[in-house]
Amino acid sequence: MAHEERTSGSTVLPTGAPGAVWVALGVGLFALEAGAFANFVVGFLADVLATLSAPGVGALAAVERAAASVPTLLSRETIPNAGYWNGRRWVDTFLGLRPGVAWALRVALVYAYAFAVAGWAVLGYRLYRREYRTAAWTPRDDVVDRFRSHGWGVFGLVVVFMFVVMAVFAPALGPTTVDKNMRNSYSNEISYWNAETEQVDTTLVGDANLASQSSGDTDRVLPGQYDDFGRYHPFGTLPTGRDLFTFLAVGSRISLVIGVLSVGLSASIATSLALAAAYYKGRADLGMVLLSDAIMAMPQLLLLIMLTTVLDDTWIDGVYSGGFVLALIFAGTGWTYMWRSVRGPALQVSERQWIDAAKSFGQKPSVVMRRHILPYITGYLLVYGSMTLGGAIIAIAGLSFLGLGVAPPTPEWGRAVNLGQDYVTTGSWHVSLIPGILITLVVTGFNALGDGVRDAIDPQSDSASGAAAGRGGGA
Amino acid sequence: MSRISDGRGADPTADSARDPDPVRDRETDGDPLLAVRDLRTVFRTERETIHAVDGVSFDIYEGETVGLVGESGSGKSVTARSILGLVDEPGSIDGGSIRFRGDDLTDGLWREHRGDISIVFQDPSGSLNPVYTVGNQIREALKIHQGLRGSAARERAVELLEAVGIPDAPRRVSEYPHQLSGGMQQRAVIAVALACDPDLLVCDEPTTALDVTIQAQILDLLADLQREEGLAILFITHDMGVIEEATDRVNVIYAGEVVERAPTAELFDAPAHPYTRALLESIPGRSGPGERLPTIEGEVPTPTEPATHCRFAPRCPHAAPDCERVHPEPVAVGSASADHTAACLLHDDEFDIEAGAAYGGGDAPDAAGADDAGGRE
Repeated sequence: MAHEERTSGSTVLPTGAPGAVWVALGVGLFALEAGAFANFVVGFLADVLATLSAPGVGALAAVERAAASVPTLLSRETIPNAGYWNGRRWVDTFLGLRPGVAWALRVALVYAYAFAVAGWAVLGYRLYRREYRTAAWTPRDDVVDRFRSHGWGVFGLVVVFMFVVMAVFAPALGPTTVDKNMRNSYSNEISYWNAETEQVDTTLVGDANLASQSSGDTDRVLPGQYDDFGRYHPFGTLPTGRDLFTFLAVGSRISLVIGVLSVGLSASIATSLALAAAYYKGRADLGMVLLSDAIMAMPQLLLLIMLTTVLDDTWIDGVYSGGFVLALIFAGTGWTYMWRSVRGPALQVSERQWIDAAKSFGQKPSVVMRRHILPYITGYLLVYGSMTLGGAIIAIAGLSFLGLGVAPPTPEWGRAVNLGQDYVTTGSWHVSLIPGILITLVVTGFNALGDGVRDAIDPQSDSASGAAAGRGGGA
Repeated sequence: MSRISDGRGADPTADSARDPDPVRDRETDGDPLLAVRDLRTVFRTERETIHAVDGVSFDIYEGETVGLVGESGSGKSVTARSILGLVDEPGSIDGGSIRFRGDDLTDGLWREHRGDISIVFQDPSGSLNPVYTVGNQIREALKIHQGLRGSAARERAVELLEAVGIPDAPRRVSEYPHQLSGGMQQRAVIAVALACDPDLLVCDEPTTALDVTIQAQILDLLADLQREEGLAILFITHDMGVIEEATDRVNVIYAGEVVERAPTAELFDAPAHPYTRALLESIPGRSGPGERLPTIEGEVPTPTEPATHCRFAPRCPHAAPDCERVHPEPVAVGSASADHTAACLLHDDEFDIEAGAAYGGGDAPDAAGADDAGGRE
């Protein structure tokens, strides 16, 4: 396997300075999306400042406009799909293509770009491994190789990657935007081909939505169909007539952000407590066992319902449409499981002699924990983190389904399921089914990724039987 | 704190009158670098309390090597860990004092003397963290104790590796522990210990995990370092051969107690305690060709009760009824040297135990042992 990499790698970058070529490729890839990146950074800063109601929002607005003017290849403006039929041809769409084709082209390009970036990163890793790293082999190489031969894990990685790309590029992926199609639908006009009068008319988006609802056997816009206003709906429309794909794309952002935030928070709580428990042992450890047991004994769902009610209308509930509170609650109740999982390995490592050696020459407890125990539990954190993330996404969707959690105007996958549940048995079956399938797929993907990482980290499952055993274990 | 339940003859006051300080100061050297007095380390579990170290006392002066020898489970390593303040729960230091340069470490002063005492553990592959390079781990200690960073720390790390005899040190310094052999690893561990610039090096069985030729090299290295840096060394081992080669003075420890202490040469010439004699006899090569190697029957007991009797009595060929009732205190033995003591009723004038009789009836008749026992009385 190593030999094969060597030969294929050298044909990819046959120049004398492969590092420079690699960096140039990276700069080129970044330049394609520099505008979107600048937009994101500035927009994020503006959001933070607005939340903290700090001064300087005005100055940032100017920067925001400047950032928006930076050209971006994969944007809605460069490859527009919203247009109208004027009787002879499509107007305002990319190269006069049909809106569906223009949209599909943009999505394909976005994903091609994302995979190119991923390939660039892989290329960089191989290059580093072959040309720049002094050691010919490190144990991590085996982990990577074991993961590569783990089909189930690679499947999970691809699903998770596509989900993350969906979340990151959500504004560019949807056929329309949340602002135009949902929030301010009565402030935006669209032109369309009026088939009765055989001329181009204009109407408000809100009115167009009302005429494009999916709420039964006859009134429906199914996946891949155009509505009466020449708008393409890849996943059909919601019962309110809004575009389901746009709703889901933006909803994936919410799921990912809340999921990552809650898992990140619970992982950091769990890690610090596990390190402290492993270092101090005895009473400190016992105290934490009692604390985590007490938290585990609380019914999580009831606690969530209570806290969302109690915190309703407080300032913290307003942050990220209530998503921040959700993340905090998930982290506050979810760290116990992760703590249990990493406490054992941490305790095991804390018995090793190098811990005593470090203590004997007076290393500070915090440094001993970080330097000498933490590296041994990061693998476990990765596995449990990946698996917990799937659980968090289900939990967020479940809460939104129940009408709790993320506040209503903000798109969320669980609410799409909820919105469509009255029409599951009718012709508008797609409203619940598509988000349901997506949730299942993404959660399976995160679990598969966790399985793959676990098997890759564990040297006992060596590559001889790795792939087959991994698939069996995962399924 | 009376360790004698039976009132017969020996009451504590009489003991202390006879031997005010269990460890006699040597006349010439002034204050010891490390003075351990009546150290008691206990492990309290729900089922029992284990007195792992039960009243151990010894001194280490600057620049000398003191041995601590005993079987597995006799409390050697716990003593070492107690000196470094590394006793973890459920263990704790229950009494006694550990004075380093006059400061009692048991008052929580370990922090102040971190780096003055370094430890080298038995298993070199275990005391190096496999995820960091050797140089990285030496620099960690250098940063704490000598404030060295960056290239200065790197140079010093290379110097230290050279000092412990690792060839090609500039390359080895950036290698990981698994790339070194066992002997090289132990040298690297010693380099980490030296990076703290210690006054006292505690070596907890530093050669046990190594093969014999490497053992000799490590012993030579320690002797060289001691000469060059004026280190004091506490050498813990179960190997009498290593003790003979490496130490100036020896403490023989049994079931948490020091049963005999003597200058190394005197201990080997004239062992006073039956346990020491048995240990010496069980060194391969000391018995004649064709003879069975003598062993000590049984195992070291786990001391769960305060000592009220001689803990070696059940395995002792000389054991008399008194040994089951009276806890022996260290008494001076030998005529030439003032700092040879043994905690055995055989040498206590208040008890009239005939060594010869026991030898006659015992199942391990040994002429040399009988000679020594006779000579000391």
